[in-house]
Order: sequence, then structure tokens, then C-alpha cells
Amino acid sequence: MQITLNGNKVECEKGKTILEIAQDNDIRIPTLCWQEDFHPEARCRICLVEVNGKLMPSCSTKIQKDMQIETETEKVKKTRRMNLELMMADHLKSCFIDTSNHELCRIVAEEGIKNIRFEPKKQHGKDTSGRAVVRDPNKCISCGRCVQACRDTQNITAIDFAYRGHKSKVTPYFEKDLHKTYCIKCGQCILSCPVEAIVEQDHTEQVIKHLADPKKHVVVQTAPAIRASLGEEFGNKPGTLVKGRMVAAAKALGFDRVFDTNLGADLTIIEEANELIDRVKNNSPLPMFTSCCPGWIKYVEHFRHDLIPHLSTCKSPHEMLGVLVKTYYAEKQGINPEDIIVVSIMPCTAKKFESAREELGNDVDYVLTTREFAKLIKLKNIDFNQLDEQDFDDPLGISTGAAALFGATGGVMEAALRTAYETATGKSLAKLEFDQVRGTEAIKNGSIHINNIEVKFGVAHGMMNACELLESYKDYHFIEIMACPGGCIGGGGQPIPTTWEIKKKRIEAIYNEDAGLSLRKSHENPVLKKIYEEFLGDIGGTKAHKLLHTGYVEREL
Amino acid sequence: MQILEKSGLEAWKKAKEMKPEKVISLLNKKGLAGRGGACFPAGTKWEFALNSESDKKYVICNADEGEPGTFKDKYIIINNPETLVEGILIACNTIGAKHAYIYLRREYRYLEKNLTKIIKKIIKKADTDIQIDIVLGAGAYICGEETAIIRSIEGRRGQPYYKPPFPAVEGLFGKPTIINNVETLANVPLAIIKDDWNPNLRLFSLSGNLKNPGIYEMPLGTSLKELIALGKPEKSIKAIYFGCAGGCIPFNQEWKIDPEFINSTGCMLGSCTMIAVDESQSIVDIVTIIAKFFEYESCGKCTPCREGSMRILSLLEKISLGYANMDDIKLLEELCCVIRDSSLCGLGQSSTMHILTALKNFREEFEEKCRLR
Repeated sequence: MQITLNGNKVECEKGKTILEIAQDNDIRIPTLCWQEDFHPEARCRICLVEVNGKLMPSCSTKIQKDMQIETETEKVKKTRRMNLELMMADHLKSCFIDTSNHELCRIVAEEGIKNIRFEPKKQHGKDTSGRAVVRDPNKCISCGRCVQACRDTQNITAIDFAYRGHKSKVTPYFEKDLHKTYCIKCGQCILSCPVEAIVEQDHTEQVIKHLADPKKHVVVQTAPAIRASLGEEFGNKPGTLVKGRMVAAAKALGFDRVFDTNLGADLTIIEEANELIDRVKNNSPLPMFTSCCPGWIKYVEHFRHDLIPHLSTCKSPHEMLGVLVKTYYAEKQGINPEDIIVVSIMPCTAKKFESAREELGNDVDYVLTTREFAKLIKLKNIDFNQLDEQDFDDPLGISTGAAALFGATGGVMEAALRTAYETATGKSLAKLEFDQVRGTEAIKNGSIHINNIEVKFGVAHGMMNACELLESYKDYHFIEIMACPGGCIGGGGQPIPTTWEIKKKRIEAIYNEDAGLSLRKSHENPVLKKIYEEFLGDIGGTKAHKLLHTGYVEREL
Repeated sequence: MQILEKSGLEAWKKAKEMKPEKVISLLNKKGLAGRGGACFPAGTKWEFALNSESDKKYVICNADEGEPGTFKDKYIIINNPETLVEGILIACNTIGAKHAYIYLRREYRYLEKNLTKIIKKIIKKADTDIQIDIVLGAGAYICGEETAIIRSIEGRRGQPYYKPPFPAVEGLFGKPTIINNVETLANVPLAIIKDDWNPNLRLFSLSGNLKNPGIYEMPLGTSLKELIALGKPEKSIKAIYFGCAGGCIPFNQEWKIDPEFINSTGCMLGSCTMIAVDESQSIVDIVTIIAKFFEYESCGKCTPCREGSMRILSLLEKISLGYANMDDIKLLEELCCVIRDSSLCGLGQSSTMHILTALKNFREEFEEKCRLR
């Protein structure tokens, strides 16, 4: 099909939108409410172009034969600018243009708008009560992207539009505070928001305060998914592994010890694989669901009380490591656990909620997202890319490739299968890679024979897909669910933008990390072997159970 | 009046004997255009739905008569509901729908009881298994827009969405749906059965500074003078408003009520609503009142209508109170054009027509307010 785009004849495929054709031809059309992989709602009216003299939203107008499309006529520019001014008028007073993530301000700058002809009028209350996700509705431009993310990828709809006209706003249902709702704190809304109206609760100040306090022994741990994404905050290409520089940066920030959450992940796998084998042997509730994703846990606690007995009782990796730091490590070093502050760098906003759970006590004191960690590094003027690579500190710095996999969807399953198979059968796996659980398909499944039992496993990522898998959960023995699409590398605390293209690069990096390590099975982690011998006792034993396992509560809808 | 004639199910029987294509071509031949405001040929709309393959199809009768100054649909529902219901049945039968909805505005809920009775009676008499349900709106003006009606009946937030897909292809619950106005559907049986049915006879809702406001049936092409005379104005009339969304024209006695001509003045005849404004009224005040209406009724989905309608109201209030200057009028005009050109739905696009036409025809009244400053 042929169309005319800014005077040039362009051949294009049927069924594409004007915006897609423009992107294919490197023609800039600014957008705000449009986001990849979602049905365009054509709300913001920023992407309007002139089609045969009439203004049409390019995001949702499909091309037709002989269309005459102009993207930069006077009419287009004038209309776009006016609509931007209308958005900015109320947004501006509460906006601090300090980041490049801010799409609205970037477009306003590109359009050369210097003067807003309207006075700010609206005044909304902020919702900063939550430990994980906070909202400033004054910045909101009603683009609806967070609502789409919450509804269409996560199937939660904790937030939606209420009221109408200029009084319409995005709000949790019944205008509750977000932390009093069934929001699962996954933070996908944060990744969607073009104006930072919805962000994580900032804990950087508290961490800075503790770092400056000589009486405190401040320990930091970094999640498996961070090393594959942190580099993006400093201009590295998506998929760059920055493990060594990340450790160096943490040390430069003044943390007393830099430990690896991957060791906690190995520990989780050992306990979880053991629990799975136990459940199969003892006819305990099957399937067993993984429990390392706090968003998924919160979902079950709100929506599926019937599945609570199916959740693995293992704490998540950073909580396990937190416990080890405040018990084993404190004991060994002779430090009073009360003087230890554990900070976890997580790709996740729900971890902030998790760390505040009563039953988990003070195992972890603060959780910072990848973005907050980058902010700390920038605040300290550390030239991240010039840092010399460093190793994690002893004794909690050694981990295996299996733990590295935790960052990608299917990774926990693969790591658990490696250990479950080998510990239960006593045989070695010929091939460590479980291709059935790799990749970004919505739902993955497969099976493996362990001691003549066919163990069926399923993997889902993104709550919408998870809900689909839950329709037939009884078909499986073991299910991994990650609330965020792509797994933790697509977590709500990750650098913005987090698109599928970027997520796939990060996943690639994670599989490369695993493949490059000599130790690739959790149960072969030498440090953990020693810790079990010296401190924890038996796998799944009384002490291990007391320290490393937890319980869940039924929450209201 | 033509609209009060009854077919007594004769048209239903006749249409049932005919092939759907024949019914459609008959309606097209007779020249039945949509009476909701867009004047889209009813037969053509039905044809789209007829040609859309689907296991289920729906008919929606739009009785959400929300345009201020319009009350012709109410008149039909009160005075000739039998013919309306018959029209709905014919529409269902023609496109192959088994289920129809009458989307009745909440303010007309007192008509629901009688209408339900008539529906039962006619369905029984027509001996059909077609189901007609009445759905009450919640009072939002936007829910007269066809895609918003669909959302509202589905139980979702009553907001329009971007077309295509058009309802005739993918409408209510994702199924092909035709949405016709009450007056259109009530005319269907008459157009089918009456040889002398006149497509040009329209119901005019007259109101404003008139002694005898009400519904008057007149042919298109009647002069403004003749039409307004029916309403018996007491003072000399200055302007005519075609509802709130249709814009205004100066009262020129010789002008004829003809959709194309009205369009050429920058207005829209729409559903034949005429609000007469006499010389004692200030156009700026009227425009401000209408702007308040649109500010209140904007659904809030798209930027220009949501933010713009509020800005327009404050600009107009500023002008009205005499605090504005000429730059404000320029900004007002620019904003009106942006809202007209870039809003998502018909409501937003037409919400500033009354201001743009007032600025065109009565600009001196605005400028005078500014000169006071």
C-alpha cells in the first residue's frame, strides 16, 4: 500500500498505524498516552497529525491507501502546543525537572514552549502513606498509562479513573490510600508513568543518614537482576553486566560490607528444593508455588486465600541473607545485630513492602530500587563507568550461576530443578539448561522425571498471565510466578524505560552470567555448605526452619 | 402530524416478508436520514451491520436526549411509543438482532413504566422472540454519544472511544450494533408503509424567549421567520441557538432551515433544536452559561476537552466580569479551535462551536466587555 508521508511516497504494510509508519521512517511524532504493547486509547491528543486536512491521532489511526499525512503543519504544531500547555499548566507547579525520564517535560522542551498561558488551578492531596508506592496526583496528566499497566498487564486494577471532566483523576478505588488497597506494589505503574506522578517511596535519605553514622555497621546486598540493568542508568547499553563496578560503587558509597543476594538465592533454592521433595513425598499440598516474589505473595493474600497452603514457606533471597547477616555474620564478627543496618538493592518496589512485614522482623532494614541506588551514586558524584571492578565481600559473597538466573522469568524454576533433581536422585544433570522455562512466552511449562515421578512444572510472569495459569494450576507440581512481565529484570524498580526490547537484553545478560560461572548449582555453593555445617544444621531442619521460613496472612479485598 | 401516525404493525408485517436488503434499499430510496444530528442515512448504517458476520447483533435506540433545548424524543415516547417499538423490531429483524436496548435518559425515567407496557404489548402482538430492554442512563450528557452508550450499557465507565471500529462492525459487547435515535426509529414503520411519507418533515424543539415553546413539525426549507413565528416571540429575536452544541446564528428572517445552509454558517442543525434569544439577552452571558454546561459534562478522557473546557469557562467568566483584554479573546478563540480540531469525540469537537459562532456573529459584544477595562 502506498501513502504520502510529509510529501514523500512511502510503501507500507496494511494494518499498521500512522505512528508505526512514522517510526519506521524515522519521523518524530511525540506521544504521551501511547505505550508499546497496549491498545491505544488516543487520550492525550499529542500525536495528532494532519490526514487529508483533518487532524487524526496517529497512534490509533490505521493507514489507508493514498492517505496524505503531514506531521508538522502549522495546524498540527499549534494544536499540539496548546494541548501541551493545557497539561503543563497544572503539572508545572509540582514538577522538578531533574531527570531525563520525564517524557512530558522533554516533549515540552522539544517543542520550544517557554511560556504557559494558563494559571495552575487544581490542588490534590498526595498519597505518600505507602511504604512501597506513592502518588502525587498534582503531577498527573491523566494519560491513563498506569491504569492500563495495572489493568491490562497485571489484572489488578487497584487504580482507575474516577469523577469526570477536569475533576477526573486517577485514584485507588473509593479514593482509599494506596496502602489500604489490594494493590500488589509491583510498580509496573511507575514504569509506565511519563511524569513521575507515581513513584517508589524514597528511602535514600535514611540510608545516607545511616552511612554517615560511625556506630552503625551498614551492609548492602544486591539482587540478581540489578547487575544486568544498573548500567543503563549510566549510559551503558541494555544488557551490560556491571557486577564489578556495582560492587565498587557500593564500597565507594561507604557501605561497610557488600554482600550478594545471589548467595541468599542459592540458600532459597536449597531450602525450596528440599521443601518440594518433602511435599511430593508427604502428600502435602501440591502444586507448590514459589514465594520469592512479594507482589505475587500479596496477590495470593488478597485474592486467593485457597492457595496460601500451596505457597512455599521459604523467605525470599534477600530476607534469607538479611537473617544470615544479623545472626551468623553478626555472631562471627562479634557485632551486636542491633548495630547492623541491612540495605537491599532490589529491582522491585514490592520488596519495600515485604521488608516491612511484621513476621519478617528487621531482617532487612531498607530496600532501595535500582533507580534509587543509581540516584545515590549520582548524588555522591561517583563516576560509575570509571570505577575499577571489585569483588563481593567475604563471607557472604560467593554464589552460583543458578542464583544469577533468579532475575529472569523461569530462572527460579530452572535453579530449583537443577538442585531438586540432583539432590533427590544423587545423579548429575547431563544438561543444566532447561529450555522449556527460558524465553518470554506468557506461560511456559514442561516436566522432568525425578525418581520415577514425573514432576510437572509451570512458569508465568506478569499477573495477567499468572491468572491464566492459575486456571489450570492443579495440573502441576511446581509453579513459579513472578508478578512482573519478564521477571525481576522487568521489575517496577528498574531503570526507565523498561521495554520488551530492553528486558530481552537484560535476560540475555543474566543467562550469560550463569554460563560463564564454574559453579552453577546452588547446592554446590561452598559457603553455604559451611554455613549449614557450622550454623544452620540440617537443610529444612529446626534452626533452618526458624530462620529461613515464614508464613502468610489472609488480607481483605 | 406525520410522526403521530400509526402503522398498527402493518409495516412490521410488510418488512418481515421482505428480504433485509430490500428493507434497506426501501429506506434509502425513501431518504430516511438519521435524526440524532449527523444525518447519516439510516439504511446505510443498517447495511454495515447486516453485512457484519456475527452470532449476535444488537440494536440500540438512543433515547438519551441530553442536548439542552431538545425534547422531541420525549414527545415521541409519550405520544407514539407503539410506532417507535415497531421501528426497533423492524431494525432487529432486518439486521438479524435478537436483542435491543432502549437507552433512556435518567431524567425521563417516569416514562419507563408506560414504555415497558407498550413494549410488552407490541412484542406480543407482533409474535416475535426479540427482546427489548430499557437501560436507564445515569444522567451524563456524554452518554448520548454512541460509543459512550455502548460502554454504559456494558456496565463500564460511560466514555467514548476512538472509532474505527465502528459500532456497526464491532459495537456492544464486541458485536455488530446499530444505534439509532428515537425519531429515526419511529419514522421507520411510517417510511415503509406510507406512500406519502415525507422525509423532509422534522420535529423542531422550540424554546427560549418565546411565549409558545414546544414541538412543531415543519418541513426542512421553512424560513426562520415562519418557524420562529410559531413560538410567538414577544420581543424582537436577536439570535437562534441550535441547542448548546450546534452554535448560533443571527436571526435573519429570510434564511431557510436547510442543513447544508446552516453548516455553511459554521453551525449545525443537529436534531432541529432552536433556542430563540431576544435582544434583552447578553450573548456573552449565554455563552458563559453554555460553557459551564460543557465544563460540567466533559467526560475527562481527552486532554483538550478535559482541560480546555475548564480554561474556556474561566476565560469567559473573566470576559463576562469585564476583567479581560483583547489577548484573552484571542486565546479563547485559539483554544476553541484546538478543542474543535483535536477532541476525541463529537461532544468535545462541537463543545466550542457556540463560542466560535458567537465570536463570528456577535464579536462586538465580547469586545465591548473588554473595552470596559
